[in-house]
Amino acid sequence: MATLSLKDIRKSFAGIEVIHGVDLSVKDGELVVFVGPSGCGKSTLLRLIAGLDRPTSGTIELDGRDVTGVNAADRGLAMVFQSYALYPHMTVRQNLSFGLENTRMPKAEIARRVDEAGRMLEIGELMNRRPTQLSGGQRQRVAIGRAIVREPSAFLLDEPLSNLDAELRVTMRAELAQLHERLATTMIYVTHDQVEAMTLADRIVVLRGGRIEQVDTPLGLYNQPANLFVAGFIGAPNMNLFPATARDGQAELPGGLRIDTGPGAARDGKVTIGIRPQHMHLAEAGEQTLEGRVELVERLGAETVVHAVTAEGTTFVTVLAGQPEVAMGDTLHVTPDRGQVHVFDADGQRVARD
Amino acid sequence: MSNMTIRQFVGQRRGHGGRWHWTDIATWIWLIGGTILMFGPALWLVMSSFKSPAQLAEFPPTLLPYAQETVMVEGYDDPLPLYTARLEDGTTAELAEIRRIGTNSQMVDPADPGTRIDVNIADRTPIRSIGFATGNYVEPLVANDFPRFLWNSVFVTVMATLITLLTNSMAAFALSKYRFRGRDAVMLLIVATLMVPLSVILVPLYSVVNFTGLLNSLWGVILPTVATPTGVFLLRQYMLTIPDELLEAARMDHASEWQIYWRIVLPLAAPALAVLAIFSVVWRWNDFLWPLIVLSRRELYTLQVGLNSYAGELNVQWHYILAMTVVTMIPVVLVFVFLQRFITTGIAGAGIK
Repeated sequence: MATLSLKDIRKSFAGIEVIHGVDLSVKDGELVVFVGPSGCGKSTLLRLIAGLDRPTSGTIELDGRDVTGVNAADRGLAMVFQSYALYPHMTVRQNLSFGLENTRMPKAEIARRVDEAGRMLEIGELMNRRPTQLSGGQRQRVAIGRAIVREPSAFLLDEPLSNLDAELRVTMRAELAQLHERLATTMIYVTHDQVEAMTLADRIVVLRGGRIEQVDTPLGLYNQPANLFVAGFIGAPNMNLFPATARDGQAELPGGLRIDTGPGAARDGKVTIGIRPQHMHLAEAGEQTLEGRVELVERLGAETVVHAVTAEGTTFVTVLAGQPEVAMGDTLHVTPDRGQVHVFDADGQRVARD
Repeated sequence: MSNMTIRQFVGQRRGHGGRWHWTDIATWIWLIGGTILMFGPALWLVMSSFKSPAQLAEFPPTLLPYAQETVMVEGYDDPLPLYTARLEDGTTAELAEIRRIGTNSQMVDPADPGTRIDVNIADRTPIRSIGFATGNYVEPLVANDFPRFLWNSVFVTVMATLITLLTNSMAAFALSKYRFRGRDAVMLLIVATLMVPLSVILVPLYSVVNFTGLLNSLWGVILPTVATPTGVFLLRQYMLTIPDELLEAARMDHASEWQIYWRIVLPLAAPALAVLAIFSVVWRWNDFLWPLIVLSRRELYTLQVGLNSYAGELNVQWHYILAMTVVTMIPVVLVFVFLQRFITTGIAGAGIK
């Protein structure tokens, strides 16, 4: 059980700063996911928390105690590595008990914990095998088991599912969620996969270029992205972004659709209008519409994904429910759902319109 | 392919329909020639080590060791050598030679010991069969200091190899897994010493050994040889392939740096350690010049120095030298046979994806 707080963490490698002052606090028992494109600093941040690297400046606190200068082993955290990092010359049982033996724990207690982890992760029968004799999913469980037996105050997981095939990834994701439910331990989870982030997280930290872009619940990020980057990163297919110019709090999209940009920063000047593909429907008579020429239609049965391009050359995607009759070359008229339009100002920041 | 017999495997040809392609012939010549070149001298050595001194001096030499057949004849204390002799009447008979006088040989028929027969030495040929002069092996092993030399060699080889593996792997661990100022310079310095041959540093090394009182001690042979640049370089290059994540995982697992080295890095570097062990054993076992300089008391001689003592100023006891050379070769061959499979098995990296 642990609360974690990062205060103005900075990290440089060979004089190049890659983490530019990160502040974050994680509540006890929370599952926080770091998500962002590759090179955003999410793994670096995790290694700083683990104690494998030291921040250039800033403090890391665990349960209110400053641990910035404390060794990795003495922070009471456990880490699951992307490559699993199982000791190849040891059996599964030895892999699990190695960390406990190093703390001179009594043999009986080690055996109890290892057996319990084996039962929990269903790797009991694999105890005498070596990592080479295991499948990817089994190795993954052993790696998690190695973290569990130490009964850490928090788990750190570095892209734990990225080496698994798609099907196994879905199963393991569900198991990780159950595991978190059962252990109720603080977990910090790094991934570049937004689906993993959305399904697992209590809160998501979106990182880009060594800075936190937004911290919120998954639905908070989805419904109210703080800026253009988060808007574009979260949600699949990506949010449609239309550049427009606002005059007196009104912006017009191709096809004559008028959007209220509010009285604030985006009253006049360049704005970006964001509409999620799922938040559009075929225009009914009398509605203002967004107009585009259909370029591609993907029929998935339950829904139809239509790619279209506006007269100004902006492509957009819309996901329509059911199997509407839309063909390539048609002119598409769609209308955004009420209250589902996002407006961003010239700096890419969200504009509150309420 | 898998259930192919050895005969089918060996009989494979590149030519179609079982015909010979010129590359098949070239390959066979190359392989057979190479085998003769590699194994010929060793085979010759082993065969010759079973020959008696007289047969070693024989020309033309034979590959197989032969021993002359002898027979006990009544009235003579020692067994007499048997010959096939052509008699004056043109018949041949098996006769035993009593003695040789000039070009004549006094012979006797073992069935009729009373009658002496004179035969010209050109008219008799020795009766021989394949026989092994095992005395070449038994005599030095029993009578001489050879077991003592053997023990000294084993002691030097085993201790030097153990210390070599330990110190070199520690240096390699530090040079591959820690980042510190001057690391590359240190590495470069170590590798640079590869280019300095022993003969260049012989005199200063002797002074050091003399000064530290290690002269005429087996440790004087062992210690100066344990730090090998080849070993450090070999192990370091191998350890670079051990993923850092394993070390980090161990660090999270409360392992001390010593435990990381001893329980993670060393077991994973086993293939490279085996290679270095083979090298070290062969080097130390075959070492001649350095032990010759350090050791001047006979009871401290290693095998190679001991072998040298069979070659006197006036008389070289080839039969002992050959036999003991074979004995000297055996451990090195055994080490290679048992450790060579380690060279081909890489186990590191298996736990990583």
